[in-house]
Amino acid sequence: MAMTRREAFKNLAKGSLPLLAAGCVSTALPEVAHAEEVPLPKGALGLLYDATKCVGCKSCMVACNQANDLKPDTRTDGLHQAPPALNYFTKNIVKLYRTADGSDHSYVKQQCMHCADPSCVSACMFEGLRKDKETGIVWWLGSKCVGCRYCEIACPFHIPAFTWDGFNPKITKCELCRERLGKGLQPGCTTVCPTQAVIYGRREDLLMEAKRRIAVSPGRYFENRVYGETEGGSTQVLYLSRVAFDKLGLPTLGDESLPERLKYQHKLYKWLALPVALYAGMVMFAGKNFKEHAHHLVEDQKKTGLRPQL
Amino acid sequence: MTRWERSVPVYGVPVLTRGFWALLVVIAIGMMLTAVREVVGLGGVMSGMSDPYAWGLWKTFNVMVLTGLGSGGFAVGIAAWVFNRTKLHQVMRVALLTSCLAYWTGLAMLGVDVGRPWNFYWVVMPWHWNLHSPLLEIAVCMSLYASVPLFLENLPPLFEYIIYEFPKWRGIAEFCEKAMAKVFPFIIGLAYILPIMHQSSLGALMLLGGDRVHPLWQTPFLPLIYVWAAAFLGYNCTAICLLQAKITWKRDIDMDVMAELNKITVWVIYAWTAFRFADILVRGKILLALIPSYYSGLFWTEIILIAGSAYVLNSEKGKNLRTMFLAHVLCAVGGMIYRFSPTTLAFHARDGAFYFPSAVEFLVCIGFISIAVLAYIVAVKKLAILPGSNADWLKMARYEEQVKPGIQLTGYAPVEH
Repeated sequence: MAMTRREAFKNLAKGSLPLLAAGCVSTALPEVAHAEEVPLPKGALGLLYDATKCVGCKSCMVACNQANDLKPDTRTDGLHQAPPALNYFTKNIVKLYRTADGSDHSYVKQQCMHCADPSCVSACMFEGLRKDKETGIVWWLGSKCVGCRYCEIACPFHIPAFTWDGFNPKITKCELCRERLGKGLQPGCTTVCPTQAVIYGRREDLLMEAKRRIAVSPGRYFENRVYGETEGGSTQVLYLSRVAFDKLGLPTLGDESLPERLKYQHKLYKWLALPVALYAGMVMFAGKNFKEHAHHLVEDQKKTGLRPQL
Repeated sequence: MTRWERSVPVYGVPVLTRGFWALLVVIAIGMMLTAVREVVGLGGVMSGMSDPYAWGLWKTFNVMVLTGLGSGGFAVGIAAWVFNRTKLHQVMRVALLTSCLAYWTGLAMLGVDVGRPWNFYWVVMPWHWNLHSPLLEIAVCMSLYASVPLFLENLPPLFEYIIYEFPKWRGIAEFCEKAMAKVFPFIIGLAYILPIMHQSSLGALMLLGGDRVHPLWQTPFLPLIYVWAAAFLGYNCTAICLLQAKITWKRDIDMDVMAELNKITVWVIYAWTAFRFADILVRGKILLALIPSYYSGLFWTEIILIAGSAYVLNSEKGKNLRTMFLAHVLCAVGGMIYRFSPTTLAFHARDGAFYFPSAVEFLVCIGFISIAVLAYIVAVKKLAILPGSNADWLKMARYEEQVKPGIQLTGYAPVEH
């Protein structure tokens, strides 16, 4: 028997009640709850890059390739290591920002920011990208990577690079030379910098140093602040610059990390309670309706002599 | 005026038509290029993808758009089984077949697109899952859905085929049929909850895209709007297939069932449009839709195609089969553009970066779509998929009994359930 409209609405209401309730709760929350602070690991390591000190010599790029056993990317002119952007030969790059009339310029070094709450790690299906619990270094594990490239979509800094050639692609990104650190060495880029524009250390120390520099020369740095202290839920690599950060290609991000945006999803999926409740509801209605339908099928068969179809 | 009472194969027409061979050629080209891609990778001429635009046509169209179009199985199914719109039982088989083919070719396409598919085996080990990843949710739910409930739901026509054509195996087929009837509600429950989960997660994927997705599309409700669009796309696709059968194979149309299908489609679309506008208004981004730009143009193209078609479908003119067909097609195009926008059309990776699919990407994409189209055409000719009347069945039976003596298609004693 067909359902009346009233019954249909009743069913609809019953079936979607948990969903609605969850929806109300989750939409009411953002006003109340602030972005959950994602704590940095205790021994968080990082880099501090001071763009005002950088002379653009690119020796850190050469050192990076040597430290990581990567071929220099000379594809631009066949001679110099001058890649246009981070790619699967290049985990670290120094770029030049210059206004059209040449009145202002600054160098900027680009590598993984080692976020406190990395978007790429959230995105990765089987933890092929993972954040070290002690050092906070974000690194890639090939045996868990499916090559879906979701990390590239998710990273707000455009860091992970995919091997576009060959049948066995990899994700290339700065891992803070974590294997060298184990041997008591420093990351490749910090060992060669002639002006100490990029230094390596514990994040707390680096942040203190950055703030000291700002205090010593107020007005020297853009907005007297450190990029990465809070950006995108804070990063372990910190930047100081005279030029506005967004001009150097550092995106303007709020204090909330991107994975925070998935929190409503996580609430809806918590313990799988909502999906299971919906499943149970649908099985209940489908079961009842299925019985009716089966009854009709048998009736029809009696009349027509044709095999019933499910 | 015809009434749809049971599914009837498209009989008396050859399977090996010119179109069949043409599709086969397209498929062969696609498969050859796929083999080349597996060896040389995704760079160079193989794809237009790059680090900023890391997702190309294969993911964004074959998976995110076409599984939306193939959502009939769950969208029509929920209406028929959960909300008891009994008329829709007649079109379930069409919806399920389109779903099955869209999902299977989509998943195969995913396997071609990803760089290290050999590592996908972790999916069967839940303790290696990253539960924070929307993509994990999709990987698990989509493969589970395509391989279990969707697969099982598509079996009854196959069982019937065995019962009629291979009397030797009849006992086994009937046993399977009965066994499935016992657990059927549990299967279809799964067949509705899993797509709701992964179709919304397809939208959730782009939440991590952040500001690269234009604010008219980027919203915390993207998952909901995305699965909602999948629902009406599923209705569109089912209706298009039914009307196409009328055009191509001169099958009769049951206007009552079509009216029911259209009514649901229209109201799902109206509610979707209203919700989308409400979302944009509440987020305070409505000006972006009013100031002329590429993005506002894209936005209104979607809205006009989707809501405009729904309006026509709902009007008197929509009762005309030609208009109805056109309205469903345009609506589906609009819905497909919507599903395509967050990943591609309204996705701005960074200044200076650009994505346009390469010829190889297009050919492989079309190759995989052709597999689905070919399989659909063969299936409706061999199996009882498309709805017809009991009279159609009797006509078909007379025809088949002449061609294949000994086949019994009528005169079945009632089975006690």
